[in-house]
Order: sequence, then C-alpha cells, then structure tokens
Amino acid sequence: MSASQLEDILPLSPLQQGLFFHALYDSGRDAYTAQIVFDLRGPLDADALRAAAATLLRRHANLRAGFRQRKEGSPVQVVHRRVGLPWQDADLSDLPSDEREAKAREMADAERARPFDMAKPPLLRFLLLKLADDLHRMVFTNHHILLDGWSTPVLQTELFALYLAKGDDTGMPRVTPYKTYLAWLAQQDRAAAEDAWRRALDGVHEPTLVAPAAPEPGKEPPGRVRTRLTEELTSALSTRARAHGVTLNTVLQLAWGVMVGGLTGSADVVFGAAVSGRPPELPGVEQMIGLFINTLPVRVRVRPADTVAAALTRLQGEQAALLPHHHLGLSDIQRLIGGGTLFDTMTVLENYPFDQGTAGVDLGGLTLHAVDGYDASHYPLTLAAVPGPRLSLRIDHRIDHRADHRADHRADHRADHRADHRADLRTEHDAHRLTRRLVRVLAAIAHHPDLPLGRIDTLDDDERALVLDAWQGPADHRRPGTLTGRFAEQAARTPHATAVRAAGESTTYAELDARANRIAHRLIGLGVGRETPVAVLLERSADTVAVSLAILKSGGAYAPIHHGHPPERMAWAVAEIGAPVLVTDTTMRDRLPGGLNTHVLMVDDDPETAAQPNTAPDVPCHPEQLACVLFTSGSTGVPKGVMLRHRDAVDLATDGRLTGGAHDRVLVHSPHAFDASLYELWTPLLRGGTAVVAPPGPLDGAALEKIIAAEELTGLFLTTTLFNLVADERPHAFGRLREVLTGGETGSPAAIRKVLAACPDTEVGNAYGPTEAATYTTVAAQRARLADPDETSAVLGRPLDGMRVYVLDGALRPVPPGTVGEAYLAGAGVGRGYLGRPGTTGERYVADPFGAPGARMYRTGDLVRWRPDGVLDYVDRADSQVKVRGFRIEPDEVEAAVAACPTVANVAVVARDDAPGGKALVAYVIAPSLDGLRDFVRERLPEYMVPAAFVRLDTFPVGPNGKLDRRALPAPDYGGAAGRAPRTPDEERLCAIVADVLGLDRVGADAGFFDIGGDSIAALRLAARARREGFDLTPRDVFTRQTVEALAGTTEPDGDRPGFEVLLPIRTSGTRPPLFFVHPAGGLAWSYLQFQRHLGPDQPIYGLQARAFTRSELPGSVEEMAADYLEQIRSVRPSGPYHLAGWSLGGLIAYEMAVRLQDAGECVGLLALIDAYHGQDLGSERRDVLPELLESIGIDATMLDPDGHPDLPKIMAVLAERDDALATLGEDDLVNVYRNYENGVRHAERYRPGRFRGDVDFFTALRGRAPGSPSGPSNWGSLVDGAVSDHPVDADHHLLMEPAPAAVLGAVLASRLDALHRDHHSNRDDGKGR
Amino acid sequence: MTNPFEDPDGTYLVLVNAEGQYSLWPSFADVPAGWTVAKDAAPRQDCLDHIEENWTDMRPNSLIEAMGG
Repeated sequence: MSASQLEDILPLSPLQQGLFFHALYDSGRDAYTAQIVFDLRGPLDADALRAAAATLLRRHANLRAGFRQRKEGSPVQVVHRRVGLPWQDADLSDLPSDEREAKAREMADAERARPFDMAKPPLLRFLLLKLADDLHRMVFTNHHILLDGWSTPVLQTELFALYLAKGDDTGMPRVTPYKTYLAWLAQQDRAAAEDAWRRALDGVHEPTLVAPAAPEPGKEPPGRVRTRLTEELTSALSTRARAHGVTLNTVLQLAWGVMVGGLTGSADVVFGAAVSGRPPELPGVEQMIGLFINTLPVRVRVRPADTVAAALTRLQGEQAALLPHHHLGLSDIQRLIGGGTLFDTMTVLENYPFDQGTAGVDLGGLTLHAVDGYDASHYPLTLAAVPGPRLSLRIDHRIDHRADHRADHRADHRADHRADHRADLRTEHDAHRLTRRLVRVLAAIAHHPDLPLGRIDTLDDDERALVLDAWQGPADHRRPGTLTGRFAEQAARTPHATAVRAAGESTTYAELDARANRIAHRLIGLGVGRETPVAVLLERSADTVAVSLAILKSGGAYAPIHHGHPPERMAWAVAEIGAPVLVTDTTMRDRLPGGLNTHVLMVDDDPETAAQPNTAPDVPCHPEQLACVLFTSGSTGVPKGVMLRHRDAVDLATDGRLTGGAHDRVLVHSPHAFDASLYELWTPLLRGGTAVVAPPGPLDGAALEKIIAAEELTGLFLTTTLFNLVADERPHAFGRLREVLTGGETGSPAAIRKVLAACPDTEVGNAYGPTEAATYTTVAAQRARLADPDETSAVLGRPLDGMRVYVLDGALRPVPPGTVGEAYLAGAGVGRGYLGRPGTTGERYVADPFGAPGARMYRTGDLVRWRPDGVLDYVDRADSQVKVRGFRIEPDEVEAAVAACPTVANVAVVARDDAPGGKALVAYVIAPSLDGLRDFVRERLPEYMVPAAFVRLDTFPVGPNGKLDRRALPAPDYGGAAGRAPRTPDEERLCAIVADVLGLDRVGADAGFFDIGGDSIAALRLAARARREGFDLTPRDVFTRQTVEALAGTTEPDGDRPGFEVLLPIRTSGTRPPLFFVHPAGGLAWSYLQFQRHLGPDQPIYGLQARAFTRSELPGSVEEMAADYLEQIRSVRPSGPYHLAGWSLGGLIAYEMAVRLQDAGECVGLLALIDAYHGQDLGSERRDVLPELLESIGIDATMLDPDGHPDLPKIMAVLAERDDALATLGEDDLVNVYRNYENGVRHAERYRPGRFRGDVDFFTALRGRAPGSPSGPSNWGSLVDGAVSDHPVDADHHLLMEPAPAAVLGAVLASRLDALHRDHHSNRDDGKGR
Repeated sequence: MTNPFEDPDGTYLVLVNAEGQYSLWPSFADVPAGWTVAKDAAPRQDCLDHIEENWTDMRPNSLIEAMGG
C-alpha cells in the first residue's frame, strides 16, 4: 500500500481484538458475518442509493479499515483513504414469482457464506436485488468487527438521508470518528474496572455451560425459535419492574438465570449479556456507526429461598455497580478470574429494533420493510428480546444436526441412548421447550413477587409426567407382606424342596423351618420379642440362614456384625444395637470381643435350643415391623444402623424383575452384614428356590466357576470391583448362570462387555441402590444396551416394582432429562430410618412431595440423570464432585472414555490433590500397556478432561467391603509436568512471566509453553510482557523455543539466529534417547514442533535444519548433509541408541545418517521415513517448485498470482496472518526456503543409499500419488535387512504435517518409541545388550 | 449443587406425618401433602434438635397401634 493510500493506523478496541483473533483462528468459517436485509417498495433511484452508500463509506473512516497483525504480533486496523464500493446489482424480476424469492434468499445466503479477507477493506458488501419494478431488496453484509447491531438503525437512517440527497452530505452533521472512542477507551481507569469485576465474580469457581461439547460455530446460521408474550404478561412484567425499581433487562436476566440454573443444576449462574458499550459522555456517540457493543458476564445467584422481589433488587444493584466498568473486554475479565470460558449462553435486549421511525417512512415514494437480519453470535444458546407492546423473545441455538438425525429415529430405541446425553438443547424441539420454560419463569416473576425462586416450576407438564410417572417402576399391586408369613406359605407349599445347600449338604424347607422354630423359641425364652434387635456374629453357613429366620420368627430383627472387624468395633456395634442376645457359633468363639453386656447364644452348642419345640412360635408379625438392622459407614466415620422392615425385604425378594427362574438358585457369599445378603437369602427362599451358601473365605474366579457348575446356580451378585476382577481374569466363569448382578459402584462397560461376550447365555444386571432403600432400587439388563458399540456406560435403568427415583435440583424440583440432579428414592423399599438416630433419620428420610400424602423419600447423595429414553445414568456422588482447573468434571465420563479403548480391562479415574499444579485427574488402568492410550482418550474428550497422568496397575486395591479403595491408589509420577526449578535470575523472571501469562502458580524452566496451556494469543502476550521487562523476545521465539530454559538462552543458540539453528531444540527434557527429525527440502524443522503434543513428556525431541539460514553456500549432497547433522546430534547424544525420522528429503538424509551411525558401530533404534523415496526422477530441472514449496510450509498455492509467479509481498502477507511460527518468517528466510528446496530436490534425485541393518517404519501419503509410484517396501525393501512396516496416512505428501495427519504419525511414532524403550530396558535387564 | 437439606445458613421447618415420622424441610419449599409443621422456621440445628427430642419411638403409629402400644 502506498503511503498516500494510508489514512490512519489505529489500535483495536478490546472487542475488535477478540473478533480479530477469532477470524484468524476460524479462517474460512468465520461465524462473525452479519447481515441486514430489507425491502424497498416503490420507485427506486438505484444510482442515488449507490452514491449514498459510497458517501457513507467516505464519511465513516472506520468502515474503511482493514485488520492485520504487525510482525511482532499486535493487531492494528489500517484505515485506507479510499476503498472501492463493493456493490452488486442483480435483476431477478424476470424470474417466475415463486422462484424469485427463493433465488433472492439463496443469493443473500451466499453473501453471508462468503468470508471476508480481514486485511482487505472494506469488510462490507452491498447487494441490490431487483425483484420487480417497484420492489427492490437491499442485502447489506458486513464483518461484525466493523459495526454492531446498535449501529444498524443509524446506518439505515443515514443511508436513506444520503439517498434523498443523492449522495450529497453537505447538510449532514459531522461524524464523531471511531478513533475518538478509542482514545476515550485508553483514558479509562483500568485498575478500578478490574477490581470491580474481580469482586463481582469472586467465588465463581466453574463456568456455566449448558453445552460443554457444543460444536464450534460453522457457517450455518443458528436455529431460531421465536415467541411473543401476551400484552397482558408484557405489561405485568413492566409493572413488576417498575414496582421494584428495576429495568426490563434485569427481569429478563433473572428469568434467564433461573432457567439456565435449571438446565445446569447450578445455583450460581453466569451468562453473557450484550451491552451497548457506547459511553454517554462521548458527544454524538448515539449517531456513530462502529463496534462498541460488549459482551459482559452477568452473575445470577439462584438461591431457592430468595423471593422474586429480593432477587430482582439484588441483581439490579449488582449490575448498576458494574455500569462504569463496561469498557473492560470479556477476555480481560476472564483473565482476572483465572482465564477460560465463563459461560456459553447470553442475553441481548435488542432495544435497537428495525428503526420504528424509519420503517414505512416515505422516502420519495419509497418505503422500507425489514425482511431479515443475521447477527452473529457463537454461543450455543442466546436469548434475544425485543421490547414492544408484546415482548418478543427469540432463542438462537446452534443445532447439533446429528442430534436431529437421532431424534428422527426415536422409534428405534437403540439410536437414542448414545454417548452424549448431557444437554437438552440440541434440536429445534428442545429450543421450543426452553422457550416455554422461559415464559413460565417470566409469568411467575410477573405475578408472584413473594414467591421463593425455589418454587418457580420450570418443567413442562409432559416432561414432569415422564420423569415422575412414566419412567418410574411398574405399578405395584402386591400387598405388603412379612418375611415370616411368606416363608411359612412357601414351606407349606414345598416342604421337601431344598431350601439351603451348604458344605455339600441339603436342608429342605421343612427342616429349615423346624430348626428356625427351635432357635426362635430359645430366643423368646431369652427375652426376644417383637422389634427386638438381635446381634448375629456368624461365618456364612447353613445356620446363618436358620438363625436369621429364627430371629424373625421370634419377632425380632437380625443385626449382623461383620466378623472381619476389629473386636472394639464389634463390641461397639453390639452395644449400639442394644441387643439382649448375641447369636454366634463355636467357630467364632475365639473372635468374640470381651466385655459384652449381653447373652451370648452358641447356636451350634446349646442343648436348650435342641430341646425346643419345632413348631412355629405364636408371635404376630406386621409388614411394618423391623426385619433387620444393617450397618453402613457414615460420613462422620461412625457406622449407622439402617433399619429395614419386613415389607422392604419381601418387596425386593418378590420383585418381577427377579422372577422367571434366574434368581431361584442363588449363591450366598456376601457378608451377612452387607445388604446384598437380603437378595441372596430371601429371593430364593420366598420362591421355593435354593440359597447356596458358599464355603468360607474369599472367592476368586476359579472358585466361582466351580461352585456355579457344581451347584447349578442360576444367579448371583458380585460387587463391581469383584465382578471386574473376574471379568478380567476369567470372564467365562459366569457362563452357566442365567444372570449375574453387579453393583455398588459405577459399572464398567468394558468389563461387562467382556463377560457378555464370553457368556452368550448369561445376562448381566447392573444393580443400583443404597442399603437405606433395601439394596436394589434399579436393576438394568446390559446385554441389549451394550450391544450398541457407542454405548459408553452401564445404565441404571428404571426403578423396580413400586419403586421411584426422583432426580431433583437444589430446590427439590424434578430436573429435565439430560440434567444432573440428586437421586431421591421413594415408594417400595424405603426403610424405617437409622437405629437410635431420629435426627439423622429426619434429615435423610424426608417428606416426599410427589408421592402419596405423608410418604417419605430417601435422599441418596448420588448424582444421576435421566437419559432422553427414560433410563437412569449414574453420574457421581454429590459430595465428591471433581473440579480441575475450574471445570466440573465427571470422572465416570473420563472413565468411560478410557474404558472404550479395547485394551483397557478396567479403569478408575480420581482427582488427586498432590499434582504439582494443584488438583489433577489421574487414570488408573488395568491394561497390558498404556501405548497410545493418551491419544485415544484425547480423541474422545475435551482437553481439560484428559487425565494428567496414566498409571498402569495389575489389580485395584480393594477395601474390606469389596469396593475399590480409592485412597490406596498410588500417587503417580507426573513426569516433566512439574519441571525443574529455574537456575538463573533470567529463568526465574521468565518463569514468573510465563506463569502469570498462563495464570499458573508456577512453571518449570523446562516445561513447553504449549504443553502447559499456552496458545497463540498467549504467546503474543508473553512476548509483549517479556519485552516490557527487558527480554529481547519475539513471538517467533516463543513458538520455536517454547521452554523458559530455551527462551532465557541457557541452552546455547547456534549463532545469533534463534529458530534457525541447525540443531533446533524442540524438547530438551526427558530421560529417553532423543528423537531427531530431519528437515524436508525447504530446510525448516518447525513443522515438527507439534510432535511435542504426540510424544510423551519423557521423550526429548530435536529438529535438524538446513544451514542455508545461517550461511550462504548450499550443501552439495545428501551425504554431506548427513555428515554435518551427525556431528550436531552427537553433540547432545554422544552414543546410541539413536532415533531418527525425516519427511521427504529429510527421510533420505535420516536414512543416510542411520547407515553411517551403524557403520560407526552405533545402535539405531527407530528409523522413520515419512513418504520419502530414493531414485525418483523429480523433474527438478523442469518444474516450478514454488507451489509445492508453499504447500509444504502450509500455504495454499492458489494464493499465488493467476500466472503462478512468485509474489513475495503477497506470500508474506499470507504468512503474516498465520497463527503459528511461520507468521514470523521474514522475506529473506522465505528466499532461503526456496533455495533450499530447489537444491534439496536435486540432491534427492542423485542420492544412492547403502544398506541398513534394522527395521524401517515407513509412512505413505495415500492421496495424490502418481500412477506407478513405488511403495515404501518396494522402494526400500531390497536395501534393508529388517522389515519395512508401511503405515498409510490419508493425506497428500505436502500436507503430511497438517495437524490431523501429523496426529496419526505422532501416534504411531509414540507407540514405536514406547515399544523400543521397553525392549531396550528388558534387554538391558537381561544383560543381553543390543 | 448445594443440597437443600445441607445449607448451614438455611432456614428449616420440622414436619411430621400421620405415622409420627419427622422430616427436616427447607422453609422455601411447599409443605408436601400429608405433612404438618411441627416446628416453624428455625436454623437447621434447632430443627434437628427438635426431632431428636420429640421422635422418641421410631416405630410408625400404625405399627404401634398394631402392637397394642
């Protein structure tokens, strides 16, 4: 651009900066294109309109701005003195009327889809469509960086004033220039604003995200759902606002906060709100056309107990206090509180509708009519409200089209329970539902100022009916029963059937009944009566069954004491129960605690028992009567005795889900004190089946398999941990069972799939429920569910007969499907409470607002959610919610992603506090190896959910109850993440700057900037900060050197050209032998920088770069380069093994280096040739290398002049807009790249390789292959002694270092390096050497 | 998510049903059918103390009746 064309160079406002960086990142799919469409009725003077548009551009300098980055990274807007008017006419009036509108829309859509080149002003376009002689349509398209929605009516008004004046603006007021506003911005008190925002957001620990997995915005406009409130409701809202002295905006924001709180299950909600951003103290600000609007966080605390009135007043006050501080940019505010996204929804009060004053106004016989407008927003959910006699609401939502597709197949149930069932705003249907919810919230606010927020009901009636009724357990027509009554009936029906098998002996129902009767009479004699708790201390045996039944027959309740517990604890439990009798047997004699103040009955050594009658004692029993007391661990550390009633046990044992024969011969192996024993004893015994008592001692897979076969068992229950263990070592063990139940923890789909595959005739039932609600509340068959390969978790299913699960939010309201809430259990099975603890009972067993009058529900502390097809998913414990780096993370989701890897048998993910940077996720994995697992997980989870460390274990530590003992999991070695401490003052200062820029407490001197959260914007900031503090640093240095160590210059740079040294240190830390990447023909190794992400932190990486950047003469052959580079790598790695890789020409050089190393007696580990072939005629003398060269450094060759001539300034401009290291490449360097390329291609043709003794990993670029090209194996096979493994990559040769193919390469390289590392170690350990 | 029964600063009621069973209850929420207020809005611990003192027999009234007291 000549100087005369340049009018001004200005900084960017904060919002412009944000949009500019978005445009750089999302180039080609910029979602920030806005459009205004309006019709002009009447006779139009098109020339006058065009002249008006030209004058408009002349008047407003900021509309003539282009945006680019300075070499050092800072963005500027360059105002051109003159720009051409982008004006296009089209005449559609000849088209048939039905095609005309479609064509007009198509053309407008095309305008919107066509991206703007940020560097080329103006970033706006006019399209005038003639639809008929007296009907025209104006389509005005612009990049949002130029002007905001508030500017639209100003622009229209001015455009048509100029139209009437035929483009002459002499009579119009002077425009306040945008630079005045930029100057005003610079004068604001930034510190005060930062302070105010810090205070406003204090305590916000996590972002409010309704769609954490939402796709990035594409070209598609958002979906839109509109509704208009009635005049009555609109005026009631205005009245409400006036009555409390608040604005309509505050009313809307409170409503949005309540609704988003409902969607996210959070009571502390943050969302964005658009503010006009026009400082009133700036004269003429209302008439300016430009970008002022700002999106600022609004925090709404939805306290259930606050009244509507109180919440309105508070919100208004909080917002008013922030008014003077609206000039701070959103990214600055986010940085204040630790960086990262704060919200993904926003509200806009559009008090700038299509200007009512202009609409329909007569402009020389012409009238204006709005057709449509597209404002750009990249949030998944946006509420736009337009005031009027009837408030108009619009919800813009980014539709996930895959979800729509799924919804189309809703009839197919399999299609609807897929991996993502979190947010419920994926379809237009959902957006409509949200709109209805919002209107209900607004109505509540309008009419009920004294209503606590917690009583605002947000659920639709149909949703409410689903979650409270349709998805609940089958209606229960059973009458409450007693265990004793039901057993007596069964014994009478099948007296000679086998009731119990133990130690190879059978006991019939009649015999069991008689034995229990005798013991019962004895207990009655000892004072046991109705409701008397009796302590039981027995190893499992036939008598466990008889004693339990006997206690019930005597009217009492059995209270098993765990014999594995320490004596003091046993004694404590007996005293806690207040049992007059402790029933035990002679095998337990030695383990009895001393000092028991109770009668001890040795049931197998008591002559008096044998002398009792075998008839049933005459003790009445009531279904409400206590049947057993089971101890569970309490959160306070003191166990609580859960009181279960006869009816609870009967309901479980006779449930329809357990009917049909699968649970007729059941293994009794759980500790008697464990709630699963309820199922094990009573399910078979109330059905005429057999309770098979397992031999004493722990069971393993082999023992299980044996007893299953020997006793012809049909069903059994295993804790999740034990199940997973058996699934891993002996999955076929369950093959003869009808069903195996498992539960206690989140089920592992991988383990369950393994069992299902090994046992084709066996069902696996995932059982869920706490002891407090009689063990099982839901049991879900897994075979059909897990047949879907996309299924990522073991669902809980639906409640059993007569049982209910409510999923409630913090105000005790049912949450909609997809939203996480806490599980409350009601209906059948909810026990009596905690023995001797009325207070604890009263806070856990609480009034049920949804059941029969006076009913109770048990609050579990479990977080669950309904899937859209009405099955429950377990999510987490309410009290073990994990937050890492401010993100709420569900470890089960991470576990599911890890478990999806086929080699993983089992996984536990925990958040540990002992990580160097604070809390971090750690994945404990049972798998043969961890190869490629991190990349596998990275592909399935957002970055913040990828565990910081993976630890391979052979088995999981298990606690006394058979559950995973999380506290016993070993602390991982976090490797290089912590990093070494700074060693020099410069390193120390730089570490502090990096930490500050990234918002970390500290960073290691050897941590890679991009590994620890840096991105390109942060790199720009880091360079700027460092320069201010006296370091001579450019953004390129950050990209190419990356670690503080390298940036501080403690590793010797090669000459004085950082980034161009022959041996480029990519990652110097790590204990493994380094991997050396050799440059391709262009000579730079920068494209290998990205492999840091793909290779583990323990893997040092270096690049080798051509000398052309540091000296003028070019090398004469591949051999010469190889010899040169060998010297370089020996300087950091004096002896082998050496790992070498090279792309294209680099492959040939690497090969030659490998041959030379072997000749010198050194060991070569990895030799990776990346689409490199020898002996090919590359046509080096004839062809124009430039397009290929440009592609190889990531530039689209179509950016060249049409005649293909190199146009350095143009290429430089393209390079400058990249957000990576290449953006920093200078013109001279580009010439060097070009020289290298030509030279390299010539040498590649001449190179004649020697023999290599070892294996080669070859990567083939599958795309764009010339016919007859050799394959890796055919090209190299005859020269290589070992194997040539071919790894195909779906990419063109020149595009292999694009992120996607590079990730494929990286994964293979990582796994090969891991394998070599292991082999090397094991060989060394064997003393063999290599 | 703060559980509405775990708010140390919240105000609570004590409810009782026909079976003589007690329930802590957040005061902002509607009182469910079949329950009456046994103690009016008070701090959480006061309510728990009230339950502790008054719920001396944890058998439901229907059972107490069936067992003849």
